[in-house]
Amino acid sequence: MSNPLFRGSNICLQVFLAHYRQSPLQAGAIIVGIILAVTLLTGVRATNENAINSYSSATELLSQQAKWLITPAAQQKSLDEQRYIELRGLGINQSLAVVQGWVTDDNQQRWQLQGSDIIAAISALRTADDAASQGSPFAAFSLPLARIIAGEPLVLMSQSAAQSLAKKHLVLSGSTLEVVPVDDSFNLGNRLLVDISLAQQLLDKPGQLSYIAIFSDISHQQSAIEQWLTTEGNLSESDNGDSMKALTNSFHLNLTAMSLLAFIVGLFIAYNGVRYSLLKRKRLIIQLQQQGIMKLAIMTALGSELLLLVLVGSLVGFILGLQLSYWLQPMVSVTLEQLYGANILPGIWRWQWLAQATLLTLAAALLACSSLFVELLRQPLAQSSGQFSQQKNAHRAQKWQMISALTLALIALIFMPISQDYRITMGLLGLVVLAIPLSLPWLLVRLINAIAAISPKGLMGYQIAETKELIPPLSLAMMAMLLALTANISMNSLVGSFEVTLKQWLNARLHADLYLRPPKNQMAELQHLLSQDKQVTGIYKQWLTKTTSQHSPIFLLTRDRYSIENTTVIKAANGASNDQLWQRYFDAANTSTPQVIVSEPFAIKQKLNVGDSITVDALGNIQLIIAAIYYDYGNPYGEVIIPPALWHQAKLNTEPLSIAITYSGDFDAYGLVLQQKFALPESLIYSQARIKAQAIEMFKRTFSITQVLNTLTLLVAAIGLFSACYMLTQARMAPIARLYTLGVNRQQLTVMVTTQMLLMVLLTCLVALPTGAILGYLLIHKVTLQAFGWSIAMVWDWQAYFDVVVLALVASALAVALPLYRQTRRPLISSLQSDVL
Amino acid sequence: MNRLRRWTIKHCAMARTLACSVLTATSLTGLTSVLLLGCSEPQHSTSSGMGGLMGETQTGFTEVVPKRVFRFPNDHLAHNDYRQEWWYLTANLTTETGIEVGLQWTQFRVALSAQPPSSTSNWASNQLYMAHSAITTQTQHFAEERWSRGHTQLAAVTPSPLKIQLDNWQWLSQGEDLFPASLNIASDKVNYRLQLSTQAPYQLQGDGGYSVKSANAEVASYYYSQPFIDVTGQVMLDGELVNVAGQAWLDREWSSQFLTKQQQGWDWFALRLDDGSTLMLFQLRGDDKEASSNHFYSGRRMYADGSGETITSDEIQMSPTTWHDIDGKPHPVEWQVRIDNQAIDLHISPLNPNAKMPLSITYWEGPISITGSHTGAGYMELTGY
Repeated sequence: MSNPLFRGSNICLQVFLAHYRQSPLQAGAIIVGIILAVTLLTGVRATNENAINSYSSATELLSQQAKWLITPAAQQKSLDEQRYIELRGLGINQSLAVVQGWVTDDNQQRWQLQGSDIIAAISALRTADDAASQGSPFAAFSLPLARIIAGEPLVLMSQSAAQSLAKKHLVLSGSTLEVVPVDDSFNLGNRLLVDISLAQQLLDKPGQLSYIAIFSDISHQQSAIEQWLTTEGNLSESDNGDSMKALTNSFHLNLTAMSLLAFIVGLFIAYNGVRYSLLKRKRLIIQLQQQGIMKLAIMTALGSELLLLVLVGSLVGFILGLQLSYWLQPMVSVTLEQLYGANILPGIWRWQWLAQATLLTLAAALLACSSLFVELLRQPLAQSSGQFSQQKNAHRAQKWQMISALTLALIALIFMPISQDYRITMGLLGLVVLAIPLSLPWLLVRLINAIAAISPKGLMGYQIAETKELIPPLSLAMMAMLLALTANISMNSLVGSFEVTLKQWLNARLHADLYLRPPKNQMAELQHLLSQDKQVTGIYKQWLTKTTSQHSPIFLLTRDRYSIENTTVIKAANGASNDQLWQRYFDAANTSTPQVIVSEPFAIKQKLNVGDSITVDALGNIQLIIAAIYYDYGNPYGEVIIPPALWHQAKLNTEPLSIAITYSGDFDAYGLVLQQKFALPESLIYSQARIKAQAIEMFKRTFSITQVLNTLTLLVAAIGLFSACYMLTQARMAPIARLYTLGVNRQQLTVMVTTQMLLMVLLTCLVALPTGAILGYLLIHKVTLQAFGWSIAMVWDWQAYFDVVVLALVASALAVALPLYRQTRRPLISSLQSDVL
Repeated sequence: MNRLRRWTIKHCAMARTLACSVLTATSLTGLTSVLLLGCSEPQHSTSSGMGGLMGETQTGFTEVVPKRVFRFPNDHLAHNDYRQEWWYLTANLTTETGIEVGLQWTQFRVALSAQPPSSTSNWASNQLYMAHSAITTQTQHFAEERWSRGHTQLAAVTPSPLKIQLDNWQWLSQGEDLFPASLNIASDKVNYRLQLSTQAPYQLQGDGGYSVKSANAEVASYYYSQPFIDVTGQVMLDGELVNVAGQAWLDREWSSQFLTKQQQGWDWFALRLDDGSTLMLFQLRGDDKEASSNHFYSGRRMYADGSGETITSDEIQMSPTTWHDIDGKPHPVEWQVRIDNQAIDLHISPLNPNAKMPLSITYWEGPISITGSHTGAGYMELTGY
């Protein structure tokens, strides 16, 4: 770098620093924008990566990652522990017996309890670490091994979970367990770990195992082990969380999209700040050039300034982002645990995220600001900052923005109907999201022209004419606002529509008064009792087993004929009428081509249609014809319903998993009677109303994280709007003071400035209405359908729309009021001078 | 028998320094050390470490006292009321092509607590088992390890017929007695099947099986041996099962404390001399800072007819002549041994000086050959280096 260039940019930087010291708000706006962008980006990234990481690095508790798994055969709930003993007798000593289940403590909190052969777990870990592990980092911890393997009531919990307990013990299944905290790095998460001796007793599974994990590579013995297992279990290679990743893909993509949206909104703010500060320094920069400083030096200085701001903003944003993720993670964990049964481990973070976020921000900022810099470069030295040329520039820019918007929208329009993959649809949706704000300035000008045409002359006319001039400086903040509003409106309509659809579906799906899921050994007795009771007007049964079809995990189930016919909400069927459908469906059960009905998510994910045939692992090689596709919501697993005759023919579990009854009389009271008689936990007996409430609660959770992010984005946009309005009003101090000297009184001025701003915001909200609807439509009918496989009827929520409009109005009103208030307290002359300085 | 103790010694010291021990891997390592070493006192002070692992109650175990009457076959079974115990076999074998092979198999038992569990679960146990196996040739040395809690089907010592088992490693006698028996070890690196038989009576070490382990008789164990075992069988060498034949030696030992705090390790020898006699010999090394007078020696010259002479500490002179570095640590792999009243002056050298066992606890254990006043072969174990 040449010496004069270096000196020149050095001087420039010093001048800029002095400038920012004069008006810290300008630098502040830029940094705030960057901070917000990076915060949301990092926060969501950390949350997502942590979850995904949890799936793939999931080890057996206190042990290493399993390479192979032996799970119970499809028809069975558990493995006999003899399989484990035999397996070790076969020389597969690197294996671990695990029994797991859910238990409820005395505070009715449900816990996932895992019991394993702790000695085997730890010795496998030692092998993994290999010898010299004495310098192991997990210090300050020791297990009361003697008491653990003696089957004493001890439960291991992660440090953080243990701290959240009020007491040092847990009461599970009537026994009091002493809590032993272990370091969080052992990844227990929210699970409880006990020795197998205790677990089998707590879970009432004597002699039973849930699965066996194998740590050594047994691929060369695979067929021998399969032969030995015969039909008593399945040997499968651990997929390192691949199936969980596939299952939760759409969920994480959803989050990523939201965070990118927030990032863009944050960048809008930063860009607006840069733009404004350059505008304010235009004269200063011309003066610097007149002093003989090279343009290159000035550009270098501006570039360094931007770099510095980005670095500071990214670092702060990164730190805040990690904090944000710390708050978001429990929310995400709950969703993932409830919905997908995934376990989320405590968070990790990487410096690379900071580097990546900084680079991304810098690249985006440079890209965004390059046009400003170039404009500045081309600016003739003698040019006064004439209003006319500014307006002309703005017109050109608006035209170009509109053309780009139309192009992007056109691309989306062409490809959207073709796209079958939700990822591509999401990308196209991104184009629409970009097109919407780009078209805003042009639309705003048209709208204000329309208003001007009908507005009275005089001060009002001036006011409206001036509003048009405000569009270019405000357009960026408005774009950010529009984006946030649009996203919010669309998201609200998605969630609202979902809830309505879900309620309707639940109403059709649930027909009985009470739903019971007694333990297996009580099922027969319960059925007998129910059939004796004259007030029980109907008994409906459901059989269910977990299996796989087309390589993905599914639930295979059947119900009694009445339930199937009356509670299945058909989406598409292979027959003219429902009667015909059911007739054929039940008749085909005993033929060589039995019919099944499949859930909508399953059909969409596997790209299946009515009339296609599938196989289900639990039923062997039988080709099953899809007779119909039915709606199913909130179930991440696919579902296949077969006729009861086929179920029994295949010799799947004979006892139903759950039964439902209709009851003439007070069924709540009857529920209590049954609960006491069979000592059923509350979680196994449900009234229809309770199921509905729980289902809706669960679905709300699915969206809670997106809604939080959405609100955050809206807040970011509100902050952006606030800062833009604030800066603009400050910049307009001189013209306002001029009007004042011309005789317009303060009150009129206040009303005028405020209404100008509010008019702009209102018009933006107006634009957001159709765009939000379009985006919502696409989210519901394209992305959600393709990603989750749920058809939802769109419902428009005016209330939610007005809520966000009010928020936008309040933010801008505040932003205008503050500088105005300050102006009234300043001498007129200083306001007049502000234009010159 | 002594071999176990030897490991213990060193680890005891280690355990103390590593007091803050670690959860998983180390806890097992630590466990072993404690178990084997029997350094019970210091553990209390390291509350977060060994004490915790071993269970709070160190007391309650049966003490080793003199004049115990040994009863066979009952004493072949586990003595769960003592803290640690082992079944320990070493063998010097030769293949049909004349390759010398050393084999080791040991099953250790450690009681985590003196009280049997109150839980009714078949998984609940106060016993922990560990087994080691090794194959050593002049150029190769492989070792493997297994762990399990005491469990009737996974790891146990059961009578009629006598079975000493951990997973698929199994000593299976034909009847109540230890011999004749088969020993099957199958694992990735160590694989062998042996048929073991003997005509000789058992040899009670020390004073009628009461084997003192320190000069002040503060610690001792019950110890008996069978030094005259005939072996045939197959060993996996370079991926092939080859026939082998030769001699083996079995040690049985149990105690509730093997070593004193000051003892650093041991050097133990099982020697088969060309005159048909055998010689068991060990040295327990005291604190390095003190003179060698602090070391404690013991031995027994044994004959196939069941007779023998116990050799006392002051009659034994032994010293290392060659040190060999393994993983940066010197190990005394060659020894000079003199026992004047037995007219013994031997030089002992290893078949493979690198026979270190890189397991939960590390120690040196391998076949040796004997020259000097007698010739012969045997096994050597060095711990605490």
